[in-house]
Amino acid sequence: MKRQIPLAFCFLFGIAMIFTQFSPHSYSQAVYKEVINWGLIISPFAMVLAVVTLIQTHVTRINLRTEHWQYSLIVFVGMIVMVLIGVPFGPQNSIVEWLYNNVQVPMDATMFSLLAFFIASAAFRAFRARSFEAFLLLATAMIVMIGNVPVGDLVWNKVMSWMPWTDGASWLRQWILDVLNNAARRGIILGVSLGVISQSIRIILGIERSYLGGGD
Amino acid sequence: MLEKIMNMDRRVIFILVALVVIFPTLVPVRMPITVSEPTRNLYDFIETLPSGSTIMIAFDYGPSSLAEPEPMAKAVMQHCFSKGIKIIGMTLLPNTPTLAHKLMRKIAAENDAVYGEDYVFLGYRPGTLQVILGMGTDISSVFETDYENKTVDEIPMMENITNYDQIDLLLDLASGSTTEAWIIYANTRYGVKIAAGVTAVIIAQMYPYLQTGQLIGLMPGYLGAAEYEKLLNAPGDGTIGLNTATYAHLLIIGLVILGNIAFFIQRRREG
Repeated sequence: MKRQIPLAFCFLFGIAMIFTQFSPHSYSQAVYKEVINWGLIISPFAMVLAVVTLIQTHVTRINLRTEHWQYSLIVFVGMIVMVLIGVPFGPQNSIVEWLYNNVQVPMDATMFSLLAFFIASAAFRAFRARSFEAFLLLATAMIVMIGNVPVGDLVWNKVMSWMPWTDGASWLRQWILDVLNNAARRGIILGVSLGVISQSIRIILGIERSYLGGGD
Repeated sequence: MLEKIMNMDRRVIFILVALVVIFPTLVPVRMPITVSEPTRNLYDFIETLPSGSTIMIAFDYGPSSLAEPEPMAKAVMQHCFSKGIKIIGMTLLPNTPTLAHKLMRKIAAENDAVYGEDYVFLGYRPGTLQVILGMGTDISSVFETDYENKTVDEIPMMENITNYDQIDLLLDLASGSTTEAWIIYANTRYGVKIAAGVTAVIIAQMYPYLQTGQLIGLMPGYLGAAEYEKLLNAPGDGTIGLNTATYAHLLIIGLVILGNIAFFIQRRREG
């Protein structure tokens, strides 16, 4: 029963939502609208679940004194401060806004900015033309990178002014993105889409049950 | 010498990156910008919209990646306000409302735009898919109140706006996969016209949708922001950012070439 009811709901709603996509009848559209509204109501519970999981994970880390468990305490301090101020006074409260603008924004931006340093270092060490395939990848990346910034066209127009084309760097970049990239991306999109369709059919028909948990 | 280059201390590279980021910020060098077709298409589309049209901007980027989409948001909002186009702001990410609201307020103040009449910020609601689909039937069923807690139905600008049918363009400013969600659910299901401004790292993912016409325009990273600023004849953060990115790109290209030269010489010596 514990598994049959969710499977029945999944089949019922799956079929109903497919049907609403093809039927413009007012009853069909009313069902569609109602189910979307239910979805909007259920969605916030996913956040509750996320918070509970986060708390469980960090409580376990603190209890077991795993490596760097002290950071888990900082997670709780941050969470408690924001909840205590944010929930009763709302997101437009001046303290919440101050904490957001002066703590979260700079910290997030700093973490992301560090990537520039690591990417530069990693590119120098790892980006080597060890084989023909690696050379192709390297050459393509170089062209796209140089075409992404105005200096590419500047150099092209100055150094290669004898050529009949101007702005060649950005033209080459655009050609790689429009032709080579599109061909590869479209293949990936088609493959993924076919996979999603087949997986959806398996879920609706109850063949794929892993989302119910229990390793079935 | 060769060994030294091959095993260059990464702290040297870090210092070089810091220098190429700081230098152009302090000494800006204006470089000629060639406007790409996807950015021009977006500009032209907005340019042809009559005064009183409405565009929706989805601020789908967080504080970590604001450097690229924020200049795009500034340029497009400036363009819209100057043409009397109304803007509805919203976000699919929980940590963005404060950021987006502050930005909208700032650009609106610079352009004498009035909240509730020229622009509105709806804020955030959980559930990406449900929010996109829900707004297709009724925006106020998803956002009963805006970010400032005003009932959406009572906001003057929203009087004649029920769903996507009254939205002339949806611009997704994104640093993740939200643009694809907008295309799949808002464009395919409701036919709303969509354009995007994305961080440089996800540009390649967007090109198939440009080719099919599901995206009417695209601003690629700093380059897109700078291109849009050029079209507006108002250089701003995008142009400054592009200068910095130029030097950073040149450094990385230089390092890769240097590393490969050293690699090939060493390989030849080793036979």
